[in-house]
Amino acid sequence: MSEPEDMAQEIRQTTPYDERLLLAQRTDSEINQAVLQPMLQTGKGFWVLVTGLSLIVAWGVYAWSYLIYWGIGVTGKNRPVYWTLFITTFVFWVGISHAGTMISAVLRLLKADWRRPITRGAEAMTAFALMMAGLYPLIHLGRVWKFYWMVPYPNNRLMWPNFQSPLMWDMVAIFTYLIGSSLYLYLALIPDMAMARDHTGSWRFKLYRVLALGWRGTEGEWHKLHRALGIFSVAIIPIFLSVHSIVSWDFAVTIQPRWHSTIFAPYFVIGAVYSGLSALASILVVVRRGMRLQEFLRAEHFDSLGKLVMVAGMAWVYFWFAGFIVEWYGNEPVVRELIREEVSGHLAPFFYLQMSANLIPIALLVFKRVRTTPALLLATTLLVNVGMFTERALIVIGSLQRNDLPFNWGNYRPTWVEISIVAMTFAGFALLYTLFSRIIPFVPVWEIKEGRLRYTMRRIGRLLVPTAAEID
Amino acid sequence: MTLMALFHESADTAEVIDELHNLGIADNKIVVITGLPYPEGALGRHREWLTLPYIVLAGAAAGLGIGLFLAVITPHLYRLDVGGHPPVGFPPAAVIIFIFTMMATIVSTFLGVLWEMNFPRFGPAPYHKLVTDGHLAVILDIPTRLEGQVRQMLETHHAHHVGEPERMTL
Amino acid sequence: MATDANLSVENDRRWVLVVDLDRCTGCQACVVACHAENNIPVVGEKQAAYGRWMHWIIIQRYWEGEYPNVKARFMPVMCQQCTEAPCEPVCPVFATYHNAEGLNAQIYNRCIGTRFCGSACPYKVRTYNWFRPEFPEPLIEQLNPDVTVRTRGIMEKCTFCIQRIRRAEIDSQAEGRILADGEIQPACVQTCPTSALVFGDLGDPDSRASQLARSHRSFRLLPELGTDPGVIYLKGGETNV
Repeated sequence: MSEPEDMAQEIRQTTPYDERLLLAQRTDSEINQAVLQPMLQTGKGFWVLVTGLSLIVAWGVYAWSYLIYWGIGVTGKNRPVYWTLFITTFVFWVGISHAGTMISAVLRLLKADWRRPITRGAEAMTAFALMMAGLYPLIHLGRVWKFYWMVPYPNNRLMWPNFQSPLMWDMVAIFTYLIGSSLYLYLALIPDMAMARDHTGSWRFKLYRVLALGWRGTEGEWHKLHRALGIFSVAIIPIFLSVHSIVSWDFAVTIQPRWHSTIFAPYFVIGAVYSGLSALASILVVVRRGMRLQEFLRAEHFDSLGKLVMVAGMAWVYFWFAGFIVEWYGNEPVVRELIREEVSGHLAPFFYLQMSANLIPIALLVFKRVRTTPALLLATTLLVNVGMFTERALIVIGSLQRNDLPFNWGNYRPTWVEISIVAMTFAGFALLYTLFSRIIPFVPVWEIKEGRLRYTMRRIGRLLVPTAAEID
Repeated sequence: MTLMALFHESADTAEVIDELHNLGIADNKIVVITGLPYPEGALGRHREWLTLPYIVLAGAAAGLGIGLFLAVITPHLYRLDVGGHPPVGFPPAAVIIFIFTMMATIVSTFLGVLWEMNFPRFGPAPYHKLVTDGHLAVILDIPTRLEGQVRQMLETHHAHHVGEPERMTL
Repeated sequence: MATDANLSVENDRRWVLVVDLDRCTGCQACVVACHAENNIPVVGEKQAAYGRWMHWIIIQRYWEGEYPNVKARFMPVMCQQCTEAPCEPVCPVFATYHNAEGLNAQIYNRCIGTRFCGSACPYKVRTYNWFRPEFPEPLIEQLNPDVTVRTRGIMEKCTFCIQRIRRAEIDSQAEGRILADGEIQPACVQTCPTSALVFGDLGDPDSRASQLARSHRSFRLLPELGTDPGVIYLKGGETNV
């Protein structure tokens, strides 16, 4: 037998390398079908899920209309706690959105091939999380019907919005990031729309035909797409870093004790990466099971993703501590009181929940067993997001409860309106994601095929190792 | 006349293109369609020069201009003083200018790449569905006198589905 | 409008309110007067207990000591009309800005209710319309036509009764005379039975308010924050400052 056939047989016999997606012995047409089949099948479970989520969303929309009609008083807000769950969840969703860019842009530039099957799921997560986040600046407005006054357009009042306000920076930044990630998602999607167009019929064919924009796959088209994706990857990184920094400045530019901290910008960004990557891991475990994508989302991907989450978690701890030690040491009266509230007062249960839910996963993710077992990874990463949501609630709500004049101290209790609206965005995100998974191929097929070009098996001494070629 | 041929292997395709070059058929008469991107030069053809980077730079400059206008000029159009800050301060202006520059960069990249690819284009064009199943398609625009030679050469290199390309509506 | 880029402190007129804590008895007449003058709704016991009262001026009360040696310390607190107001730059729609007289102006019609200003204010003197305000009959007859009635979702706060300032200015202009010191009296100043509140122009060194501001008893709230407030307190016999 010749060398290549020899090696091929050895590859088939040696199990560890079959675990590598980019070395799997599958034809292009088999990959196409493996990705398209789950999209075309909608079982009972799917419809139960969609109905349930739609009901929660509908209830949330009712709660929002109730809020608009009766006023913000139907929430639990009061003086001094003017910002509560809506802003908390807003920050949370913006945080979740950061993982998508991390995976698709940063890892693309670093040429980490394990990002290939997950990049579209990650970008979709970004786009949908931003859509949910973008609702909150509207929801929390007292007079939401006047929201357009924040839009800079020439008007007969001759008034422009106040660009010194962090809320304006928020609006502009989130809008930019939403546009950027949606366009990025769509651009990388075009070749797969062409593939789907070629293999489906009826309404799907019509839809994919329009979305594919007449893509054929000529060399010129690929070259231009690659250039555009390269520029996008580079351009979207400063955007993603700036968006959560800007959201953090909503708090840090005020002189409210515990908000006025210079470390907020990097602290929030790293918290976003931690929380977003965990959410991505949770979603991927669920999608892998629900859409039977075990072939594409393998142990190697969860292993690498788990390591990234762990590193982000460790960085989060560093930034948290850097902020905390300065506050604790400074002993400013109100800050000291806030820390006391957190560590041994009314907020203590939340604080300890936050710390344990953020720290335990870091320890757990050290073990490869946890990273590569889907159920364990799901539990761990869900715990991270419980912790990160609590962390944001403590920052937003906890800090507002105390301030410079003790007469103005207050407490907060959420109401059904706030909880319903928060649930609405969680259900809305899940709903969008579920529908997305049935309409758009979840796995970027062309990127996997491109990745396979890079990988071959090579012999080094007695070992047969996978090697990656140095091509773009 | 136009011919289309499908190949299984990129090596065959590259050899065919070399032979076509030898026969005197120019690069702009050959179109290679693939279901995945092949590295530059793998199929023996030159990369074309793109205007995309210039479109992006122009877009970024436009974004800078818009950001400058909104952050620096609008506060002077309808002057309202706010506590403790001048009407135009460096940090808020920097944030706004940065964001608008990036927004315009992104949007101009997207629109620029669409414009350069002439998308959307839904009219009939030579194409074959097997391309997305991993085959490489080569579409040639050759003088009729060379047809026999070319067909011969294609057969030698394991081409299949050789014939007039079907103009599919995409 | 101010012509100087760095704020209206350079302007001639600067309205200030002097609060003499030695004279204040905590009777809350100023609170009631403010409600009447500025169309402020009464929110009810339950809402007030939850921290949603709407008083633009409030007597902040602190209890000191244990029974039977309990002491109540109190001071009236209203919008401090800070020169370097932290609430102004954060409003995305310019619903609050600094006008030429040194007042922190609130434009009710422009407010879209983000409540950023409320969070940014260190004195927490800004109140919010959590619901549609109710003025049960016949209280609706009592509303002041000079002041907008606000709906839900709008932030509001003490304005130093800017409607009275304007009325006095318009009247004096129509009559062709200069405003005298003490002619303009916000509702709280007018009502205070012990004359603990004095309103005047800090830019005029001879006004009563200016003279009181130069007193050795004068102090401002939270001076370390750098807000440069326009409300000057005068220490009482028992003020802990």
